[in-house]
Amino acid sequence: MEKQAGAAGAAEAAGPNRKPWGLPSSGPNTGETPESPTGSHVEWCKQLIAATISSQISGSVPSDINRDNKARRRPDFMMNDRKPDGPSHLPRSCQSFHGKRSLQNLPALRYGAQVTMSQNQVPLLPGETVQTTVKDVMYICPFSGLVNGTLTITDYKLYFTSVERESPFILDVNLGVISRLETISVPNQGENTKGLELVCKDMRSPRFAYKTEESNPDVVELLAKHAFPLSHSLPLFAFLYKEQFPVDGWKVYDPTAEYRRQGLPNESWTFSKMNSSYELCDTYPSILVIPTNIAEDDIKRVAVFRAKHRIPVLSWIHPESQATIIRCSQPLVGPSDRRCKEDEHYLQIIMDANAQSHKLTIFDARQSSVAVTNKAKDGGFESESFYPNVELNFLEIPNIHVMRESLRKMKDVVYPTIDEAHWHSAIDQTHWLEYIRLLLSGAAKVADKLESGKSSVVVHCSDGWDRTAQLTSLAMLMLDSHYRTLRGFQVLVEKEWISFGHKFAARVGHGDENHANSERSPLFVQFIDCVWQMTRQFPAAFEFNELFLITVLDHLYSCLFGTFLYNSEQERAAKEVQTQTVSLWSYINSQVEDFTNPFYVDYEHHVLYPLVSSRHLELWTAYYARWNPRMRPQVPVHQTLKELLLLRGELQRRVDELQRDATSHSLTSSSEHSPAHSTPLHSAV
Amino acid sequence: MLPDIKERMLSQSGVSARSRDVLGLRCLPGECVLQRAVMVRKKLSAREGRGWVSGTLFCTHFRVAFVPQDSPKPDDNADPVLLGDHDVALASIEKVVVVGPNRTKLVTPNSSLKFTPEELVLYCRDLRVVCFLFDRLTPDAQVLEITYTIAKTYQPPKPGSVLSFQNAALGSVEMKQFLSNRRRNTDMNWFESASDWEQELERSGASGWRVSSVNDRFEMSTSLPRSIVVPQKVLDTELKKSFAHFNEGRIPRWCWRHPRGSDLLRMASFQNNIYHEKDDIRNLEMILFGCQSSLCVVVELDEELPSPADIQLAHSRLRALCLGDISTSVSVPDDKWLSTLESTHWLDYTRSCLRKASEVACLLRGGHLTVALQEADDRDMGCVVCSLVQVMCDPHCRTQSGFQSLVQKEWVMSGHRFYSRINYHRDNDKEEAPVFLLFLDCVWQLLSQYPSRFQLTGDFLLALHDSIHLPLFSSFLANCQRERCKRSQNPGQSYTPVNGWRDMLHPDSSSDPSDPPLPSVWDWSLQYSKHRRDRFTQPMPPIPPLQPLLNGNLNTNPDSHRLTDTVPGSVFLLSRGIFSCPVNLLPWRSGSSGVYKKSHRRAASSENVPGLERLLKAWALAEFPQGLTSSSGPQGPLDPYEPLLPLLMGPCMGLWRECYLRGALHAQAFSHPASANHPHPVERLAREVQQLKDKLEQMSTGTDLNPSTKMAEPRRTDTNTNLNQNTNNGTFLFPASRPQSAGNSRAAPPPTSTNHQTSQGIHPASATPSRPGHRDNGGSNKHTFLFGHSSVAEARPDQRYYPAPQNAKLPKSNGIQSAPPHDRL
Repeated sequence: MEKQAGAAGAAEAAGPNRKPWGLPSSGPNTGETPESPTGSHVEWCKQLIAATISSQISGSVPSDINRDNKARRRPDFMMNDRKPDGPSHLPRSCQSFHGKRSLQNLPALRYGAQVTMSQNQVPLLPGETVQTTVKDVMYICPFSGLVNGTLTITDYKLYFTSVERESPFILDVNLGVISRLETISVPNQGENTKGLELVCKDMRSPRFAYKTEESNPDVVELLAKHAFPLSHSLPLFAFLYKEQFPVDGWKVYDPTAEYRRQGLPNESWTFSKMNSSYELCDTYPSILVIPTNIAEDDIKRVAVFRAKHRIPVLSWIHPESQATIIRCSQPLVGPSDRRCKEDEHYLQIIMDANAQSHKLTIFDARQSSVAVTNKAKDGGFESESFYPNVELNFLEIPNIHVMRESLRKMKDVVYPTIDEAHWHSAIDQTHWLEYIRLLLSGAAKVADKLESGKSSVVVHCSDGWDRTAQLTSLAMLMLDSHYRTLRGFQVLVEKEWISFGHKFAARVGHGDENHANSERSPLFVQFIDCVWQMTRQFPAAFEFNELFLITVLDHLYSCLFGTFLYNSEQERAAKEVQTQTVSLWSYINSQVEDFTNPFYVDYEHHVLYPLVSSRHLELWTAYYARWNPRMRPQVPVHQTLKELLLLRGELQRRVDELQRDATSHSLTSSSEHSPAHSTPLHSAV
Repeated sequence: MLPDIKERMLSQSGVSARSRDVLGLRCLPGECVLQRAVMVRKKLSAREGRGWVSGTLFCTHFRVAFVPQDSPKPDDNADPVLLGDHDVALASIEKVVVVGPNRTKLVTPNSSLKFTPEELVLYCRDLRVVCFLFDRLTPDAQVLEITYTIAKTYQPPKPGSVLSFQNAALGSVEMKQFLSNRRRNTDMNWFESASDWEQELERSGASGWRVSSVNDRFEMSTSLPRSIVVPQKVLDTELKKSFAHFNEGRIPRWCWRHPRGSDLLRMASFQNNIYHEKDDIRNLEMILFGCQSSLCVVVELDEELPSPADIQLAHSRLRALCLGDISTSVSVPDDKWLSTLESTHWLDYTRSCLRKASEVACLLRGGHLTVALQEADDRDMGCVVCSLVQVMCDPHCRTQSGFQSLVQKEWVMSGHRFYSRINYHRDNDKEEAPVFLLFLDCVWQLLSQYPSRFQLTGDFLLALHDSIHLPLFSSFLANCQRERCKRSQNPGQSYTPVNGWRDMLHPDSSSDPSDPPLPSVWDWSLQYSKHRRDRFTQPMPPIPPLQPLLNGNLNTNPDSHRLTDTVPGSVFLLSRGIFSCPVNLLPWRSGSSGVYKKSHRRAASSENVPGLERLLKAWALAEFPQGLTSSSGPQGPLDPYEPLLPLLMGPCMGLWRECYLRGALHAQAFSHPASANHPHPVERLAREVQQLKDKLEQMSTGTDLNPSTKMAEPRRTDTNTNLNQNTNNGTFLFPASRPQSAGNSRAAPPPTSTNHQTSQGIHPASATPSRPGHRDNGGSNKHTFLFGHSSVAEARPDQRYYPAPQNAKLPKSNGIQSAPPHDRL
């Protein structure tokens, strides 16, 4: 008892006396010391709060380095628009964390910190170099007006500081996130003032105004060079990044180990080495799982009949029913309704591999009308009359261009201003949630077919790398609790997205200046949004937290890690990504405690079916609208949560202790309170 | 409703044995079971954990009751509870719909069914939708009978049905006796007598005010309570002259004092703009300015806030949208859901109320001024804004007892027309407007944004929301105190509010046995089982711990000097977020009255406006304008009076899903039973902590005799010191009960079992409410299994951390597909 009281008391007492995680350091605003301890709650605050705090809040309290210091030390934000304002502007809870740190006893954040300091006090990552520094730049804050300061451009980020205002203001924009640079007109600022808008992929567009002088290098040109290195024959920053992490994230995904976990190979399914040098299909991974009883020649004929040679391969197998999720691309039926005997036979074998069902369900993710028009382009879909016992369903999900347009509309809704009165209808008009609903319901149908229908499922769209990846990975997330763990989710992304050739480079446009490329589309964002929706509905079923999801999305664009670079395993192997760059999972797995959900309970063997009515879907404002300072959460539940977890641990320990005492001292009294009699014990209260 | 023979037989069994259970149903005294059906399954809502539970369905002349199969035997000696956890009062049923093979049918008292229903759906006025599924094993005759019985017995809203419902619930002799012996809750302030108001003055540290009984016989104003708080300087004789100048005689009255010294007042609009004597004016000014000599801000409530008619329209649209009525099969397409929600304007109205209240809260924290809320009749939006301001600013109002006191003060006593606005008798549709429900929604918005700053929970708000729809409570069955008193003196009347405290008011007229005595809504133990009530409050105290209040007037506000240059007697109008000083703001000051010109007071110059506007602007720019923090240090404890200013952006206004969407059946099906979103994980965890504490306490009392007492001893002293400290500080944050529970959970020494017994209340006067200390485990069972991976569960797998199997909480992975997915998607 005393201990507990003492601990709590100590935490409270520690509050006022303890400095926040700022350490004695060189200047008032720089707390960067490599070993500066920080708690994971900081991370949380930073993510959800600090990142969205920006200039709009005027403050008079002398700056305190807490949040800022922290944020600068970690590279997980593309753009950090924040100000080290005094604690009065922090949500209260942030401050109250300080005292609890000792109680939580969290390990310091050690990895991925920006430690090197250039002479301008710009924190740098290992391998990062300053390219130029421009003075007298104005940041045109959409929330509070103009801020004067200094702009530093490195090969990784754009760093704007201002000390003019009552408290320092810092804007840290990752160059990878920039979609395009636009010159804008700046009225009333003199003739040789130029305006620059950075249109970003993560839902915001900061604007700057700067003076053009002979002596200054051209900011736009320099920015363009480093924001779009591939267009300027420069390497992506991931190849320059020199951080060392204690965990090697490249080891997270081992395809054979993953398939073995699923119980493969077995009598019906086998590992195929046919694609080991990417000859069969250049966008597939080298290891494929295919039916046992099929000849190589047949497979080659099937490959010819499938778009981009993406043959049907196994993604997941149900541990009990042996029903499988198979992914592939559309069959090349064409306008003349071509048939391929081998393909028909192949699907028959897949059906037969599952003894529980004599049916095979094909989910075509596309709209049925689109699938029909694809026939004219030599594509198409399986005809139920040629494929016996096959049931074909269209999931009616629009294509990548529709999704891109939808997110673009969303950006208009959330940035820079939010229209209060028409918020909901504006969201409706983007149709973003509608597409999320389609995806989730499609994935739920797939999962249900496997789980209750016990029948194998084939999923494809046109090429089998966009909607197919979304659907199979979501269905697997619903079906298999392993993928709901932190490591399991990484495996899922590595497997269904990265190794099976979702064209990250084309969809995101890493380092490429061609922003109007119609290949770009936020499909992975959409997938993560679906995952977030599921975490909302099943708060205890996922080992990772919201910060993890946001971090993954941030580094989708950052080009800091090699994980999401390039379109296929083949390209990645050619560029030696694994040896030349760092994996995002190295960064995450080196500090897992920040990304874990404290409520996680392993729902082993539980299938999660999310509610897919739009009444139960929400817009992920913590991601999409995070740049708006008025969106800061008021009370981070996270804090309460961690405190309760600690308290529970402490109480649990004491209950156990007492129980031990009781049993050792008196058999009679202990039997009264022994676990076996727990029911009366609890209802008696 | 004519009882047939069978019915009589059934009811005899109910009557003859008081509270003897019929297949597990514990009847109220005098309650008759009209019909029952066995082997019925009830659909559980998301909140209850989803899935199904099977049991027996009853229809009595008061409720539709459902008793799950393996529910524990009812305790015959326990006090009656009106509604069990699965029950629906007949009065809250709005529509009865049956679903048969391929069709649905709305069942009316006269309709006959040509098919055997498979499903029975009850649409309730409180937005619940209760769904029963008849098994193949349910005898067809029982299915038809109970459907007809419910259809005949439920009370379609019409004049007169309320009385028969009241009689059905409370009419029996035993029930009347039981109710009249009931003690009222002493933890809260009922604001009925002058002393109650004095207690409030003392609590908020307001000086310069006094309680006046000038309206004791309701002669000055019929809608105001007996006791009103007015400036000390104004004598009753002077006061009397002022009533005529305000609509319905609702003169400016004191409501609350902000700890920084500002006062919050309410008043109706000015009328009778003839001011004869200078004294008259002097008194009016004194009443209006209260104790602040310098500055008064009149906040206009009529313009920006929705009218009752708006609220009614919005609410009925919201109902139609959320209820998802299968009998009409009109449903909003999924892709129009948000737009349709927006077009109800309900969220707009919530926002405008919260915005107005935030403005007022910011004004109040700015220093010494009087803020007077002015509404034409001061009986609707005045209640909303005034109470919201207090919820935002006063932590006490975020506790259960404090909130109840607040509703009692600003709504029940100050004359919100509950009776007309709720329209129980369906005889006054024009007046109907769920203003109070709008207020509850606003509070929920605050709660959802600041979950850790509230002691009360969403469950409490939900319970209050549902109780509004039961025409049983004295609190809501009258429009003002006068009506309540009149009815209680008039035993023949149908809705006599006896409240159990009648003897206090009218000791002589207390014992007429014929009228059903109506309880107060705050008598929760009458309405809800213990485990439901336990969820009304957070098991843990708000984090971070709140500072004790130094009996009002902290007045450390650095901004106050801004206003000191104000000309004494300045009055500003706050309307649409802008301050102005229109000439005719105070009618007696306007030129036309002529009299006032002689006065030495000048009209306020508009130069003072910026100071005020800064107060608001500080809020507009930052949710946390600089305040006390500089003085209390960056890491010091939170200023408890720092207002909870809600975020009002579109994305931040949420829909109260737990309330409005709990009936959306189409969305409930096809989901994992463990997916229950609610209660929030934090809540669940907190409950578990509480259970551990309880357990610890049990353990330690059990081992007291053992050598391990050394553990228990220091803990007990801990509790005491904490208690003492808190009481010595005279904290009014959590009167009566708070110190104990705060002490408990902060230093985590659970009260010893002796504490328990006192608080369980043999003598209610000294009872602390059985809040955090005594969390019932039964109720939290269903959720705590989520944390079953804790070492407890591992060590003892047969523990309660596993849900009862009959509730189908943890089915095997393949036990879920009750419906094929495509039907629901």
